[in-house]
Amino acid sequence: YGGAPGGPAFPGQAQDPLYGYFAAVGGQDGQIDADELQRCLTQSGIAGSYKPFNLETCRLMISMLDRDMSGTLGFNEFKELWAVVNGWKQHFVSFDSDGSGTVDRQELEKALMTMGFRLSPQAVTAITKRYSTQGKIAFDDYIACCVKLRALTECFRRRDTTQQGFVNFHYDDFIQCVMSI
Amino acid sequence: PCPSRCPGSGARLTPALSPPQGYPGAGQPPPVGPYPGAPYGGGPPPGPYGHPPPGAPYGGGPPPGPYGHPPPGGPYGGPYGSPQPGPYGGPAPAGNAPPGVDPEAFSWFQTVDTDHSGFISVKELKQALVNNNWSSFNDETCLLMINMFDKTRSGRIDVYGFSALLRFIQQWRSLFQQYDRDQSGSISFSELQQAFSQMGYNLSPQFSQLLLARYAQRSPNPSIQLDRFIHICMQLQSLTDAFREKDTAMVGNVRLGYEDFLTMVVTRML
Repeated sequence: YGGAPGGPAFPGQAQDPLYGYFAAVGGQDGQIDADELQRCLTQSGIAGSYKPFNLETCRLMISMLDRDMSGTLGFNEFKELWAVVNGWKQHFVSFDSDGSGTVDRQELEKALMTMGFRLSPQAVTAITKRYSTQGKIAFDDYIACCVKLRALTECFRRRDTTQQGFVNFHYDDFIQCVMSI
Repeated sequence: PCPSRCPGSGARLTPALSPPQGYPGAGQPPPVGPYPGAPYGGGPPPGPYGHPPPGAPYGGGPPPGPYGHPPPGGPYGGPYGSPQPGPYGGPAPAGNAPPGVDPEAFSWFQTVDTDHSGFISVKELKQALVNNNWSSFNDETCLLMINMFDKTRSGRIDVYGFSALLRFIQQWRSLFQQYDRDQSGSISFSELQQAFSQMGYNLSPQFSQLLLARYAQRSPNPSIQLDRFIHICMQLQSLTDAFREKDTAMVGNVRLGYEDFLTMVVTRML
């Protein structure tokens, strides 16, 4: 192990089944960008019977974990992403009662609420309007939505120093935190 | 400040590149106060993304008039703003345009409406709008445009909406061209800073950096294409409006509950 450029960085990494997918698309630098992530996720079959992710969703997923703002993920970040997305997928599947790969507005609302997002009816309307095609929301768009909600929630939580569910936002901070998602 | 009065390359100096109040290491707090929009510096928004004048169904200022002489290949000028080169560069058939719709816009509508449904979808719109580097407008911006001009609430636009959209885009192209001081076809970090400043926003360099990281192609000199520039400016305006609505005391500060925060952002951002 170890030492070889592009090779496993620690013992055991090579045995990790996820590493296979990651290494297959990642370059020598051990980092993957949005395009490579898209390929990686598609090959891994995480989308299951659902369509593969679109590129914008992949970009969003990277930004969710991209702590050094490089626009790329290393293997550990990729593993973290995998775990999160899998969790969301199980959740989606439990609401996709007819196995169609889509959920309707009510199912979406329930799915998001049970994930802990407190959404007003206007917010649900906005989300449904943005992500649905003929009243149905696909898995890929559901993921994009979760990523955005999660990022916004993080942004809020980090500033909620008293943990009371309220934040005092300065204008600049508000704009910056929201528009960087 | 009205875009037509904004200086082109002789832009006013922007000493205010230091972080505004509230940032660590910030300089003076901004004057709070007597003038409207103080903490935001926003002022009345320049034409293209202001609120529609009463009675007008679509946003943006008065149409800039006829599109001008189409150069070969398209109705918009030179390296700036030619749509997909195509077969429709010639004069439009006379007499078929609905009343109030520019014949060129109508002709273009018919070309873009590939399934002849009488409506243009996001997908069809992508075929019609291009950046200066010939890349199609991205999905996000096309979606934004459709939402803005879709009066039918169907997720598609009709010929009137499309016609208004074209005028809107043309105004944005002009504005973009002004801010693109070196005429590279895209907007760099310093040009973006300048643009925000001229629009009346007092935002930090970190903000511009963040936007470049988020919207620009990865490169040693990241810069922003027209589609993303439109998206950024529209979102900035929308979120500023939302914030202002809550900040009744005009202090640049708002206390938000979690659910309120999500609603505010989700309804404006998606």
